[in-house]
Amino acid sequence: MRAPRIMMLTWEFPPRVIGGISPHVYFLSKSLSKNGAEVYVVTCDFPGAPSHEIVDGVKVYRIDSYKNPSPDFASWVYLMNINMQKEAAHLANELGGIDVFHAHDWLVATAGIGLKHVFRKPLIVTMHSTEIGRRDGLHTATEHMIHETEAWLTYEAWKVICCSNYMTSHVRWAFGLPNDKLVMVPNGVNTEMYDKINQSGLSEFRRKYALPEEKIVLFVGRLVYEKGVHVLVNAIPRIIDKVNAKFVIVGNGYMKDQLLSIVKSMGLEHKVLFAGFLDEADLVKLQKCADVSVVPSLFEPFGIVALEAMAAQSPVVVSDTGGLSEIVDHDLTGVKVYPNNPDSLAWGITRVLLDSNYSTSLRINAYKKVREKYNWDRIAVETMKVYEEVIAQYSKSFWA
Amino acid sequence: MHVLIFSWEYPPRIVGKLATYVHELATQLSRHKISVHVITYHEFMTGVNEDSGIKTVRVTNPVRTHTGVLTWVLTLNQEVERAAANVYYEKNRKIDLIDVHDWHFIPAAVTLKAALNVPFIYSVESLEDHRSHFANQPFNMAIKSIEWLGMYEAALITVKSDWMKEEAARLYNAPKQKIAVISPESPSWIANILNTYTRVTGGA
Repeated sequence: MRAPRIMMLTWEFPPRVIGGISPHVYFLSKSLSKNGAEVYVVTCDFPGAPSHEIVDGVKVYRIDSYKNPSPDFASWVYLMNINMQKEAAHLANELGGIDVFHAHDWLVATAGIGLKHVFRKPLIVTMHSTEIGRRDGLHTATEHMIHETEAWLTYEAWKVICCSNYMTSHVRWAFGLPNDKLVMVPNGVNTEMYDKINQSGLSEFRRKYALPEEKIVLFVGRLVYEKGVHVLVNAIPRIIDKVNAKFVIVGNGYMKDQLLSIVKSMGLEHKVLFAGFLDEADLVKLQKCADVSVVPSLFEPFGIVALEAMAAQSPVVVSDTGGLSEIVDHDLTGVKVYPNNPDSLAWGITRVLLDSNYSTSLRINAYKKVREKYNWDRIAVETMKVYEEVIAQYSKSFWA
Repeated sequence: MHVLIFSWEYPPRIVGKLATYVHELATQLSRHKISVHVITYHEFMTGVNEDSGIKTVRVTNPVRTHTGVLTWVLTLNQEVERAAANVYYEKNRKIDLIDVHDWHFIPAAVTLKAALNVPFIYSVESLEDHRSHFANQPFNMAIKSIEWLGMYEAALITVKSDWMKEEAARLYNAPKQKIAVISPESPSWIANILNTYTRVTGGA
């Protein structure tokens, strides 16, 4: 049998990085092509990035992502999908056919569904998140619309991949899917990227973010409600009572202004640094410098940022929710605290910062777990099994 | 010749005058031994039907909640693609032409052209610039960009008056040699339509 030919549909791919889908699709595609698949990524364009290139064996095609003004984000998504399905259709024909279309989240839902039907090829979907989870319910017409688009996408999919057991059961509940349609394949993390950082240059780098006597408490994520960064801000006074620390907050989002004013009103401006969006090289170094990495999410389908911190050998404190509950074993590979509870979060952070034997053992165990369980080669092999199973079932269907 | 007609209104669903026009068109084409499938929208009367030689496929929107007609149209297009692809594969891939009326199902026609190599004619009943005169909100711009895409990707554009031909050329820079004026009032209306279809299919 020839190598399965996979077309990934994703709205983000490096250098376009908005959330976790971009690195996920990059590492998955790269490991898949190393493990015997032919992978074509169709994604949105990005200033300076070529419209076609080969990245680590993966053929990347960047489409015109619709640049006229759009009434709102959801409309832009659907408009962008028109271009995506058109360009993807041309590409599929040039290549002489695609075996599987693999869509990532509702952002490419309509393109994925359309391509499935016009080519009559199986569609596989990875649900990285859900609207009902992100918003903690459905409150507006837009949220209902996105939810129903997600439901439609999972309905049309041959298999739905989720990155954690938590997400699998959440998606099953949210869209009423049958059990045999769902597959759990964990997310991965690339440890090499962290291992190659030279420790000796780090103290100079660290000084840009904190005083030498300050411990660095690092938050990395979009500044949005579900990431719980406001819980961390509320925990700060309880932490700095006991230990001298600097809180470095990386990322942007709609809560940024609100957070800035809360920090100001609490008189904590000298203890909190809003670093904005960092490029990968700086982020990796900062994660290596962090004395503790905090993931205080209220909703977290997977929690890739916790894995990254573990790969960087930074001890982690996470809220005991969603995918984070599965990644971290309490007292062994990290600390779990009650979600949405600043007291509990402050307790966890303080404990790690004050007990260096404890934090060292967390670092060592977490790094070992990440290398064994969340390694991309292993994930690629599991994903290949899903492709092969779907292709085998498809070949017996009347579409074949 | 096998033709697919895309229209967002078709009897019994009548919104403007396009429904009656498309019905008359499909009837006349059938009489001239053209195999026609009308692919259209209906809220609940979905599925395949046949009435006096005209086959219809009606689809509804799987996404029930919308913020406006734009998102409603953009998500309905994949159902149109599904319905069209079903006809295409049942007919052993022998669909010669798609005739798409107004902007709503242009995205589907564009995808089918790219994927299945079926050319399409964009038949203009009205344009956004005239429907929402002087309105240039992002909502109108989005519809205009879809109309532009239709003009750009279409093998031919048909309009119903000389005035509309000028407007299509003025608003979208559509090349005039690509625009055919076919007046529904003309006695040679259906002959002109057939002639235009043949121009695109090359006599198939």
